[in-house]
Amino acid sequence: MGLRNWALRKSPWILHFNTGSCNGCDIELVATLTPRYDIERFGMYLRGSPRHADILLVTGPVTRQVRDRIVRIYNQMPFPKSVVAIGSCCMSGGVFSNCGKGPCYNVYAGLDQLIPVNAYIPGCPPKPEAIIDGVAKLLESMKATKRKEGTPDEPAQ
Amino acid sequence: MDWALGLVSLLVFPGFALMIALSFLYEWYDRKLYAGIQMRRGPLYTGPMGILQPFADFIKLMSKEDLTPRHADRRVFNSVPVIMVALMLTALTMIPVTGASGLLSFSGDIVFAIVAMTFFCVLVFLAGFSSMSRYSIIGAERAVLQLLGFEIPLMLSMVGACIFSGSVTISGIVAQQSGLWNLIGPPLLGFAIFLIAAQAELERVPFDMPEAEQEIVAGWLTEYSGRKLALIRLARNLELIFIAGLAAALYLGGPLGPSTDALAPVLFPLYFIAKTLFVILLLAFMKSIFARVRIDQMVSFAWRYLIPLSLVQIMITLIWRAL
Repeated sequence: MGLRNWALRKSPWILHFNTGSCNGCDIELVATLTPRYDIERFGMYLRGSPRHADILLVTGPVTRQVRDRIVRIYNQMPFPKSVVAIGSCCMSGGVFSNCGKGPCYNVYAGLDQLIPVNAYIPGCPPKPEAIIDGVAKLLESMKATKRKEGTPDEPAQ
Repeated sequence: MDWALGLVSLLVFPGFALMIALSFLYEWYDRKLYAGIQMRRGPLYTGPMGILQPFADFIKLMSKEDLTPRHADRRVFNSVPVIMVALMLTALTMIPVTGASGLLSFSGDIVFAIVAMTFFCVLVFLAGFSSMSRYSIIGAERAVLQLLGFEIPLMLSMVGACIFSGSVTISGIVAQQSGLWNLIGPPLLGFAIFLIAAQAELERVPFDMPEAEQEIVAGWLTEYSGRKLALIRLARNLELIFIAGLAAALYLGGPLGPSTDALAPVLFPLYFIAKTLFVILLLAFMKSIFARVRIDQMVSFAWRYLIPLSLVQIMITLIWRAL
């Protein structure tokens, strides 16, 4: 188990998904990928395909329109997988969380209403340093927790 | 004891174990160079200077869940990664590492080398086609298009080296270069063509349309995950060694170099590694200074410039031989 856990922590391949963001968090995430921050130091790779990815980075408020897509993307990723919610909107609905009574009619109150989330990165938008720090803390937390592997995915609704 | 020695040399040195270890080392070297040219550090925290990064990637992918899409052609989809690794390990036995000839050497083994590269492309097509995903099929089609464009200049450049050395065995070509490398002479043009075509063969950056991440997700690799992806990545790294080793054997004198009889078993593999690292340096440099070309640019470049150039190269070589 030690070797597998080590490999998992040392080679996190990421997938970026935008659930309706204003592009603020996306630009910060793209800045994180630039040579200045060079996340390949940690072995991170941005992959295009959810089949290759280990960590799903989600930005933006989760709209009702995108619900089916985000759940499908999550289900397409192989175990073990993690999800990181980036930015206030993705964590709780952000400015859309209290339009009148309760959350906005077309926005969920956070990504964790739909799929399990392993780490939250607050900020509007979070800085690239914060994103790297959040993912690094997620990887650190993988050291301790025993992850269920090969368990069938619950259809998250 | 003869068969035991043969088995050790096939499985351990200079056979499968060495090649797999080198494939991890070369991927790390390639990534570090690529990062360095982009003013980055590259893999840094996995082992000393990130040298274990490809190994960690491999172990991680091996331990991940293995998915097969519902509509995929199960048998082909699952067998392609294994066949890819087997094909490349077989082809690598022809590459000379410890002396003038590889583990296997027979008349016309250079033809087998060409066949192995072509067959690899066919496997890529099968991989993409059996996934039954639209991105995979587009990627597979592009891979075949690339095969049609770049396989011919690759073969012609190798033919140039064969004509110059007057041999169709890799060991013969290497032995002929014990004095002067083929690189110093008319095959220099062939070497340049070989490198460009090899870049396309390996689907690296100026010619990475088959897996263009920004257009078609991950191309023919899209549906592969876990163990199968690990094997495909391993096979592609082995192909990198194979092509670098072939370039070293055809143009850079293979593993031969200044040494004594006693030191040869140690020095020749080191020469081999040094020469293949030099070839990968050139390939990585090409990868980092170019952007991806369009498909029509790729086809017209291959057919309008590269193939005529490789014919010219053969002509120059023939005239040189006749004089």
